Amino acid sequence: MSDLVISDAVQQLNRAIGLIVPDVIVLATVCLMFFSAPFLVSEKGEAPAGLRHRWGWLSLLSLMVAGYVWWGTSPEPVTTGPFRLDELAWFIRGVSLTFGAVLVLLTWNQADDARSAETQACLLSIIAGVNLVAAANDLVGLFVALELISIPTYLFLLLPRRDAPAQEATMKYFMLSIFSSGMLLFGMSYLYGAVGSTNLEAIYAALNAGRGQPMPILLVVAVMMMVAGLAFRLTAVPFHFYAPDVFQGAPNSAAAMLSFIPKIAGFVALYRVLAVPVVVVGQEWSLAQFSSPLLWWLAVLSMFVGNLLALLQTDIRRMLAFSSVSHAGYMLVGFVVGTATTGGPTGFEALLFYLVVYGAMTLGAFAVLGVLQRPDRRIESIDDLAGLSRNRPAVALLLTLFLFSLTGLPPTAGFLGKLNLFLAAWGTGTESGQWLAIWLAVNATIGAWYYLRVIGTMYLQPAPAVATAADNNATPSYLAMALCAIATLALFAVPGWLWALIQRV
Amino acid sequence: MVSWLNDNVLWLIPAAPLLACLWIVVAGQFLRREKAHQPVVLGLIISWLCALYLLFSVVPSTFEHTAEHADEHAAEVKDVHHEERHAAKGGAVTYYVYDWFSVRGGNEQPTTMTEDQARADAGGMHVRVELRADAMSALMLVMVTTVSLLVAIFASGYMHGDPGYPRFFGALSLFVFSMCMLVLASNFLLLFVFWEAVGLCSYLLIGFWFHKPSAAAAAKKAFVVNRIGDFGLILGIFMIWTTFGTLEFSQIFADPTLIAQVAIAQPEIFTTICLLLFIGAVGKSAQFPLHVWLPDAMEGPTPVSALIHAATMVTAGVYLVARCAPLFMHSPFALQIVAGIGAATALIAAITALTQNDLKRVLAYSTVSQLGYMFMSLGAAGADPEHLMQPAVTYAMFHMFTHAFFKAVLFLSAGSVMHAMGDVIDMRRFSGLRTALPITWITFLAGALALAGFPLLSGFWSKDEILAVLHMAAQSKEHGTYYTVILGVALLTALMTAFYTFRAYLLTFHGPEVFPPEAGHHPHDAPPAMAIPLYILAAAALLIGLATGPTHLYGHYLHHTPGMPSAPAHGPDWLMMMLSTILAIGGIAGAHLVYGSHRGAAGVKDNASPLQKFSFNGLYLDELYIALVVKPLRSLAEVCEMFDRMVIDQIVDGVALIPGIVGSILRPIQNGLVQHYAFVMLLGLAAGMVWMLQSLTGSP
Repeated sequence: MSDLVISDAVQQLNRAIGLIVPDVIVLATVCLMFFSAPFLVSEKGEAPAGLRHRWGWLSLLSLMVAGYVWWGTSPEPVTTGPFRLDELAWFIRGVSLTFGAVLVLLTWNQADDARSAETQACLLSIIAGVNLVAAANDLVGLFVALELISIPTYLFLLLPRRDAPAQEATMKYFMLSIFSSGMLLFGMSYLYGAVGSTNLEAIYAALNAGRGQPMPILLVVAVMMMVAGLAFRLTAVPFHFYAPDVFQGAPNSAAAMLSFIPKIAGFVALYRVLAVPVVVVGQEWSLAQFSSPLLWWLAVLSMFVGNLLALLQTDIRRMLAFSSVSHAGYMLVGFVVGTATTGGPTGFEALLFYLVVYGAMTLGAFAVLGVLQRPDRRIESIDDLAGLSRNRPAVALLLTLFLFSLTGLPPTAGFLGKLNLFLAAWGTGTESGQWLAIWLAVNATIGAWYYLRVIGTMYLQPAPAVATAADNNATPSYLAMALCAIATLALFAVPGWLWALIQRV
Repeated sequence: MVSWLNDNVLWLIPAAPLLACLWIVVAGQFLRREKAHQPVVLGLIISWLCALYLLFSVVPSTFEHTAEHADEHAAEVKDVHHEERHAAKGGAVTYYVYDWFSVRGGNEQPTTMTEDQARADAGGMHVRVELRADAMSALMLVMVTTVSLLVAIFASGYMHGDPGYPRFFGALSLFVFSMCMLVLASNFLLLFVFWEAVGLCSYLLIGFWFHKPSAAAAAKKAFVVNRIGDFGLILGIFMIWTTFGTLEFSQIFADPTLIAQVAIAQPEIFTTICLLLFIGAVGKSAQFPLHVWLPDAMEGPTPVSALIHAATMVTAGVYLVARCAPLFMHSPFALQIVAGIGAATALIAAITALTQNDLKRVLAYSTVSQLGYMFMSLGAAGADPEHLMQPAVTYAMFHMFTHAFFKAVLFLSAGSVMHAMGDVIDMRRFSGLRTALPITWITFLAGALALAGFPLLSGFWSKDEILAVLHMAAQSKEHGTYYTVILGVALLTALMTAFYTFRAYLLTFHGPEVFPPEAGHHPHDAPPAMAIPLYILAAAALLIGLATGPTHLYGHYLHHTPGMPSAPAHGPDWLMMMLSTILAIGGIAGAHLVYGSHRGAAGVKDNASPLQKFSFNGLYLDELYIALVVKPLRSLAEVCEMFDRMVIDQIVDGVALIPGIVGSILRPIQNGLVQHYAFVMLLGLAAGMVWMLQSLTGSP
């Protein structure tokens, strides 16, 4: 009898692990790197020159193997096991592995040879964390996966550079992140209290059966706390405060990572706990209905606060941080709209499309900063870019492309992304949805101001006397920049294939 | 080979110059700059041979087709699929290139549509890039490619040593491509696209020496004045679209009864369409009141004047009206306007040409005047469209055909004069060039005789036929008086044409030999690259009318154009022939009387009398336009600018301040203190919580 139970348990475990093979591969690489790295560094902290290239190649290899395995998998029906591999999980895994590779390229030369292994390992575990967020089928699993993103992030912020600004940034992120994790966990516990299970499928089933209805207050508290906890990851107002300070102080690759990766995890987690529709005798509802007025305000506030404060920034990373806040607002528009559209793209489809597009353009913009970065001189204020069109015309052109895309101008993917969001919001036909569309359009206009100002600085202002030569160490950044540029243009020219993938979700 | 050529000759005609242009753009401006004319000449030779092949072999093969299978036409169309790129039907050959764009109408249809389905799809729009050649296009193409080829060869000598040599040939071949595509367009939209493209090429070529302010201004003037005409054309195309539901020539012109129905049902709209199309033609063909750009366009290099502003581009307007003859046929009123405008233009331009001192300007005004002739001919059908439309179109097209050759030789000879005189073209500064420039002299004389309508030369046959058709129109009962006046104008213009042509000829080539200092010691005559095209064109100017006019070769060929109304043949009009001979010889004699024994360069007096000044300044039309159109518009623009600056800008600046102000209000919260951040997060959480709980209890 007990044999049967044990073999049954082993079988279940095998089946569960089978759903997360790519993540296991990535995490195995992480373990390998953490264990072996100390042996390759001397006691004084010196490493053989060029060691970072090996770690970079290993990270890329690991991601490629994971990607290969991922390509071989296909979505499976959801059970009550610990993991799930539905269309969304499959899609998000592809997105995070792809952009993970771009981030590996960006991180390549950020840390010195001695700390490269740990830095890359942190990045890999963050990527695995994103995958697991999408694959988690349990509130506990979801929380652990989110922490698998957060905790390595603290290291990732500090490892490459340990000067005062980086320390300050790390400390701020650390404290506020813990605070938000606490809120999230608090919300999850209330949800558990209301429905009596931590398994997502069981929760849906319980809500389906009307278990939550006698205790709406419990559910409201749960939703509010979870939204607050996850909004931190989305950098939605008023949970965005860390972003500008951290982006400014953190190394370039960490800022790039923070602008994008937590947003994927946040939106997926938000979708998992709130947005899955539940059918209650004759009517369809979901927890999102509780939260949508709240999220409506979060979206509008994020758009406005992000854009208005970005206008005042002189530091380019702070500007990009506020731009990241405003883009969180745009994407929240898609989330709020959800499936409540008639014809045209649904809000979720538009959100997922925008997420991919945003990844390409924001990582591209940070890649440009990485390319321009030199040991003796960091690009900090926008004025540092003056005259770039003369010194480095190709780089200036690509930055212009990314900024055009962030603004939402054709011929870039950002245009299609904003257009889809707008159409989705307008297609609701409700007053609140159409107001969202209007605020989106207004904010796109305000955004144009500060993005175009950067372009103006690059093209119209005279170059400083000291010409900046190309940095030989920047090759991986160049590659990342080129990949992002191709994606930004390609998703405008042929968005069909991505759209087909998204529509399966 | 032959069947391949039959299928592909159509696209080869425009493709060859396009490739030449691309070569120059991509590589020719760096490699072998001095030889930039070679790819263009090669491309034009290919084009020319293809056009000849099209004229003599491909298009005639469709003629019997028309007669025998007219009834089966509708059935055949159904079999035409997208894959079948090449097709011969209804007197025209077509070559389908690709679907430009497709807008579906109200009723859902499968995406792959046959032509028939496309037609059925009301409200939808399907624009195919398709080449279509019938008899009229084939004749136009031969004319365009022949003249272009000769002009390109001439230019290879004329433009030699110019720093923009490759640019010149790039623009030239682009122009030939656009002109061929204009003629080959199978629908109005495609026609409009290349209508604009030739306008653009004209701009590029007029402003070729853009560092000269006058050339830049002339290019701008040509472009802007043309825009006015193009505006009319595009409105006309819109109206055709709303009226007929299609823009395809084959569908609009295929069925005369359909056009007649529309014309009867909505006569005002129909007339408006015709007049709007004609406005387009007025702009492009430099008719009154939009003719002012053409004389200024002489700022461009002379081969350009010969090619674009005499032989090809300006004929596009005539081609458009001739192409739309099945439409104009049902609107006698529009045709009468066409005739009136043509007559006015012919007269005004001829009067102006009488006193010009610039040799090229004389030719430019004579071009305007001759284009007016062509429109008079087209408009002559207004008296009795049933019977006169066919001769009217035939003779207009025929005059265009002969005019292309003799005007090209005149311009090129003038270019040769300029070349020899060190770019001096003012007839007061040289004379008696007969002995110094014998080749130029003889070819100019041939062109001048043809233009003056000397018996048996090209201009004689075509001008005579225009007079004949006007004479027929003048005999009609209803509008006889109107057309009698126009006939009188035409005769008067013929007289003046002969006079001013020979005035220019005598001033330039006769009298004592005088050279301007710019010419150097020994003015050299045209080198072979310039002389050969001159000889060929001169021969054409002398003979081509005789070869194709009285033998009716041209006319009979043109009658195969689908949609052309058929009419009984007309015999030669002896009265008009006699009159025009008398007028031509009278004009030449008159010129000889006044200028035959002039005393060299100093012999030309300044235009002193008011009448001469009136003529010299082009009836003060430019000044009139400046006073009536340009000045009021400029004042309006100034008012608008003030409004923009004082009101709009202030509002915009004011609005732009708001985000900044709001931003600075928000800014203090972002103060860098982590405990504040946590506190505000907590506040947000609390506010959200309170709000949500309240809304929950508020609405249980």
